Amino acid sequence: MRAAPASTQARELMRTAAKWLALMESGHVSEDDQARLQAWRNSSPTHEHAWQRALLLRQRFSGLPTELAMAALDRPDMARRTAVKRALGVATLLPAAWLLGRELPVDVWRADVHTATGEQQQLKLADGSNLQLNTDSAVNLDIASGQLTLLRGEMSLNAPGSAPLSIDVPYGRVAVSRSEVCLRLDDHGCRVSVISGSAQLQSVQGAALMLNQGQQSSLLAAGFGPTEGFDALLPGWREGVLMADDQLLGDFLRELSRYRPGLLRWDPALENLRVTGSFRLDDTDRILSLLAASLPLEVQSRTRYWVTLVPQTVPQMAPEIAPQKKTA
Amino acid sequence: MSESALPTEQSLHALYRDHRSWLESWLGRRMGNSWDAADLSQDTFLRVATSSQKIADLQEPRAYLLTIGKRLLNTFYTRRNLEQAYLDALTQLPEQSVPSPEHRWALLETLQALDELLDGLPVLVRRAFLWSQLEGIGYREIAERLEISERTVKRYMAQAYEHCLLLDLE
Repeated sequence: MRAAPASTQARELMRTAAKWLALMESGHVSEDDQARLQAWRNSSPTHEHAWQRALLLRQRFSGLPTELAMAALDRPDMARRTAVKRALGVATLLPAAWLLGRELPVDVWRADVHTATGEQQQLKLADGSNLQLNTDSAVNLDIASGQLTLLRGEMSLNAPGSAPLSIDVPYGRVAVSRSEVCLRLDDHGCRVSVISGSAQLQSVQGAALMLNQGQQSSLLAAGFGPTEGFDALLPGWREGVLMADDQLLGDFLRELSRYRPGLLRWDPALENLRVTGSFRLDDTDRILSLLAASLPLEVQSRTRYWVTLVPQTVPQMAPEIAPQKKTA
Repeated sequence: MSESALPTEQSLHALYRDHRSWLESWLGRRMGNSWDAADLSQDTFLRVATSSQKIADLQEPRAYLLTIGKRLLNTFYTRRNLEQAYLDALTQLPEQSVPSPEHRWALLETLQALDELLDGLPVLVRRAFLWSQLEGIGYREIAERLEISERTVKRYMAQAYEHCLLLDLE
């Protein structure tokens, strides 16, 4: 015996719910209709369930910016603009309910400050400190108690005052005063870099580590990573710049894709090419064209949000002298 | 139950080995781009792997793959087409109504999902439904615009709701 994907009964229920919903929205609903719908819903939990699904479906269409949604979804006839214009200006304002809970966990959306992919933000805190968020990041603030929490992404904090501030991350805590630090959180740990002054790291196990200007280390689930030096004077994301010094193209692109909404992919053959240069982060399309101009690769835009880099095609060879092909 | 039926994983493997490059070149000829074709071919096998159809029972595996591949090809062009309309509309909007860059992508994805949900509805049914849902236009006005009866509008709406709800069931 094989069960049908959706039983005939379930389909029949949806059909009925659809008819009810169409009737309810018709503008001609009598009290008798209301009562009959109520009776239908009450007569079985499966009826009520079907009705709720119908209401949920209707919700999927609510709150969308009218002009954009109509233009995209009613493509065949673009001439009916005048009818749409009325809704303009009010209904097109975002964000509506459809955005909530998408792609980010709820606590990130509720965070005091957060940035989307490709966005950066700078904030002057009440105590005179300067907080900067990189792309796709979220931070909670509790200034009264001098407490920040990095929930996602990357931030820098310049704290000129002597009152200590602490930054919590899932792997421990970083204490700063009269210093400037940069924190970057990923799935494995949190890298802490001290740009000026010093910072005290504390692991969840309670161990402590002091970092000075020009030093960086990582807070990990198991404690600390190795302490290394870095060049604190090099410009970086805080200046809106992406630097590469003889970097593997694969690593560069992984970094670049943090700043681009949509999909960026590349042929594995490109992974080991080398990149050098300093690029402005506010126009990542331009970065891709610059790469195409200086490296043997081509940018294929399937759509604006779906870009693929492939090796440059070599001049066409006659089939008989083309490299051997695998035969089936 | 036949004893010779292969375990699913094994038959999927065989299907992939025997037909992947054929499917890829079929798609490649239509798309004029081997990279996209390779993508869609992967997608096709992914659909096969997750569908309830028993691979070992397939009499005409290539016909089956083509059915799924064509559907995906159609979706691919539809999405590209939608994105173009969307980007065009963005440039037409007054500045204060343009969504922030970081929201544009999320919105486009939402619209693509709805587009797929509505796919297959007759043009007029779809339009009446969009007017009602997106613009809140009443049945009477829809009836006037489309020069049909209010009764027909109500039938259109029920048809659209039913279409979406049934798709949700699958």
